[in-house]
Amino acid sequence: MSTALKDIIRNPTVAELELVARYAAFKADPRRERLFEAFARTGLPGRRVEGWRWTDFKTAVTSLEAPQAAPARDPLAREGTATLRFTPAGYVPPANVPDGLRLVARDDVQAMSGAEAAPLGALAAALSPGTLLADVSAGAPVRLHMVFAGPGAINAARIVFLLRPGAELHVSESHLGGAAFSAALIEFTLNKGARLHRSVYQTGGAVEAQAITALIEQDAGAESVQTVLALGAKIARLETHLVHRETGSKATLNAAYLAGAGLAADITTHVRHGAPACITRQLTKGAVLDGGRGVFQGKFLVPRTSGQQTDATMRHNALLLEEGAEVFAKPELEILADDVQCAHGNTSGALDAAQLFYLRQRGIPLPQARAMLTEAFIAEALEEAGDHQDALRAEAQAWLSNAS
Amino acid sequence: MRLMLKIENLSASVGDADAAKGILNGLSLSVPAGEVHAVMGPNGAGKSTLSYVLTGREGYTVTGGAATLDGADLLAMSPETRAAKGLFLSFQYPVEIPGVPVMTFVRTAMNALRKARGEAEISAPDFIRKSRDVAKVLSLDPEMLKRPVNVGFSGGEKKRLEIYQMMMLEPRFMVLDETDSGLDIDALRTVAEGVNALRAPDRGMLVITHYQRLLDYIKPDKVHVLAKGRIIKSGGPELAHRLEAEGYDGVQAEAV
Repeated sequence: MSTALKDIIRNPTVAELELVARYAAFKADPRRERLFEAFARTGLPGRRVEGWRWTDFKTAVTSLEAPQAAPARDPLAREGTATLRFTPAGYVPPANVPDGLRLVARDDVQAMSGAEAAPLGALAAALSPGTLLADVSAGAPVRLHMVFAGPGAINAARIVFLLRPGAELHVSESHLGGAAFSAALIEFTLNKGARLHRSVYQTGGAVEAQAITALIEQDAGAESVQTVLALGAKIARLETHLVHRETGSKATLNAAYLAGAGLAADITTHVRHGAPACITRQLTKGAVLDGGRGVFQGKFLVPRTSGQQTDATMRHNALLLEEGAEVFAKPELEILADDVQCAHGNTSGALDAAQLFYLRQRGIPLPQARAMLTEAFIAEALEEAGDHQDALRAEAQAWLSNAS
Repeated sequence: MRLMLKIENLSASVGDADAAKGILNGLSLSVPAGEVHAVMGPNGAGKSTLSYVLTGREGYTVTGGAATLDGADLLAMSPETRAAKGLFLSFQYPVEIPGVPVMTFVRTAMNALRKARGEAEISAPDFIRKSRDVAKVLSLDPEMLKRPVNVGFSGGEKKRLEIYQMMMLEPRFMVLDETDSGLDIDALRTVAEGVNALRAPDRGMLVITHYQRLLDYIKPDKVHVLAKGRIIKSGGPELAHRLEAEGYDGVQAEAV
């Protein structure tokens, strides 16, 4: 079997062969096989694969040897909040599972919808030992913190959330690196009227690869608010697939990326308005230094019949802080319905010279003026992060003061 | 009398080297400590260029001459160093800074200036107290100071906020660039009161204006007429009234 799969990947790299070997070590399971196949069809996706042109895992992931660097500090950790850890050696459940949350570990592998469209999500699922199910029931809001961190070679993690009707989940995630390759698949099903508040912090070293894939499906009247702060890694992809599958569902998808020299951060989202009268608000802001790379790919798909009365906005604004900074953006609106309100905006450029001069004239030194303006620019994308807004903003601030 | 600002034979151009346009052509003037001088001139005379060259805005090239503040070469310093030396520009068109509240901005500026001068930071209570006092003098709504700098402010509010910053930062030498433009008569009076409150024996001021109106409220010790990039005439306050009566053409013709 593994021989056949290996053959699917054309000209496999050393890293890909290692991933195949890793997969082959699991006992045979047809669902796992399907997931690995979904990955193997593209292999580590690279510039020839649609949607991966600017984020080339095939070239970037040269080795799966555990990096020397320890995982980063966790800015979202909170005393008293239940914490679930995913490490290369497996997961560690919280000491106290909060009321309203039930965690069920299953040895078998759950199917994943749309696996072909998310090859690294499929890989995370195929290389996870089993499936962790998290069942959230209605009642008081459930708070959960998740940490994804090394040390180790490969950190593959998967968790599947089911938010029962009227349930409310506040989940924070810290993806702290420390593994050569971290792949996480996080799935959320929001039943009728359920609410999801998701805050994600990502950081990683200059030799690490990270792929964080989220699949979100929303029923009638469900609402999700997502905020991402990505500091990048050698290569880092934060991908969200969201489906409004019943009327009146609402989603906010905000992200900020800050990429320094030798680091890349990719924010990719795909939103399907599969039911009438759903709302999507998306804002992505980025700032990139010399030698850094930022990528934004956003897609709204509004089908002809199901997508009527869609209300969707997409905005991406990037700052190229230095010569040699790279930003690639591909905002895409595929609108087939006629009764919709959809808008998008996309800009990238340098800091405003008039603003910089104004700050300097008041005595603020150039590096501090730059940091101040950049922080103000980024902050808008972090405003919906609720309890985590201050912590994320502080991380952005720290990054900016190191950058200047 | 101790000179504060001394500009000698200053020439400057704007734009890239291959398309540079000379705006200042041998401008000279001096402002002693404790005095307020007005620079008046028609449109395109180089008034705003003068304020930007003095404060070090990018895009202007000094092609000759010198400018010193208390004997120190201004033109060799970065804009923030000039500010630390006590130079302040009240902008003709104050810039909007989305996402940065006024109080945060002014406190950051104040502490940056203090740091550059080797002084301790201002405490939060002291800062708030001072801000409240200044806002009162300028009849500024304290709520306005929590909003992002100049965002959504009217023209008059922006000008008042410039004076607020000036009173907060207490510069030693002030350049006011067309502070009267966009102000109604009540706002003009309030702004002038703020400016006059800063007049002191160890401070100097350069008031750049197109109209004489502002000078009814901020009385200058001396008036300079700027045309085609140089001072063509200097005199007492009466010169401003003559300009108002005869227009720039008359004075310009006489000077040639």
